[in-house]
Amino acid sequence: MSPDRRRLLKTVALAPLALALPAPRAEAADYVSAGQVFDAIDGFEAEAASRLRRVAKERGGARTFVQRALADHERHRAVRARHRRRLGLPAYALKSISEAPDPSLDGLRAAQEALVYAHAEGFPALGDSLAVHDLMANMVDLARHLTVLDLWLEKEQARG
Amino acid sequence: MAEPRVVVPRRDFVYRLAVAAGVSAPVLGLIDGTVSAMPKSEETDFAVLEASLALEHEAIWTYDAALARNLFPAGLRPYAEEFVGDHKGHRDTQIAVMEERGGRPPDAYATYDIGRLASQEDALHKCLEIEIAAQDAYLAVNSQIRTKDYLLSAAFILVDEVRHLTVWRRVLGLKIY
Repeated sequence: MSPDRRRLLKTVALAPLALALPAPRAEAADYVSAGQVFDAIDGFEAEAASRLRRVAKERGGARTFVQRALADHERHRAVRARHRRRLGLPAYALKSISEAPDPSLDGLRAAQEALVYAHAEGFPALGDSLAVHDLMANMVDLARHLTVLDLWLEKEQARG
Repeated sequence: MAEPRVVVPRRDFVYRLAVAAGVSAPVLGLIDGTVSAMPKSEETDFAVLEASLALEHEAIWTYDAALARNLFPAGLRPYAEEFVGDHKGHRDTQIAVMEERGGRPPDAYATYDIGRLASQEDALHKCLEIEIAAQDAYLAVNSQIRTKDYLLSAAFILVDEVRHLTVWRRVLGLKIY
């Protein structure tokens, strides 16, 4: 995990709450509705998926991870679709996902981090315990993917 | 490498660790699945905070004990130091939240019965176990949090716990994807 990211998470986690909100990153999202949160997550997921596909194309060793991550995405989309219906929100119109032009691991990591953050920052706006619980379980998968990428990057950096 | 030495079902194992850490009854119900929800209230937030702090205290004790006994291989010690730092941050944040609301945070126990802690393998498995408990407990209780600011922090704390768990699984040769 990059030092910047560690610092950021620590800032969020350690700041006294009165100081921590509004969210401490300048670019942090301040979601105001469940619909906005679901839309943001769907958008960030599509971005991460396109980068995953591109990375898998460039790096054969990444294929198994990418297949499993994309399978998790599919399962997560089903969970969100169910909650959209429960909450009376419009369904997400999934567009076809193309391969991102950027094959870099750093770019993929940034997209993955944005997806994780969209979950964490979105929970307060969901206003529904069931949705929070299920999307938090999805976030656990995504945070695990992010750590896999961090370990991968650390390994590449160690190799020089 | 074999799965960690958790020979009881994961939920039972996490429940047992939570009991040992001093987690209170209503939250134990969430962790063991006998309670599906708690009323959204200040009392629930306090119960979640107390449970979270109990687990953070136990995690800190475990890491500190293993570090003091020099049980982490040199290449892994920085991870252990980073992770115990995270746990101390989680503890301090949640103590601040409780005190800000007029609550009295639970103190750490003087000692914890975590079983044998004499080898590198013991240390890695104990740290893995405590991270499994932390991840599962936070996942079980976080959705019950009423206040938005605490929910935001708790979500980021959970992201940290996932990282810790994933790293130890990787170190122990277990599947991480």
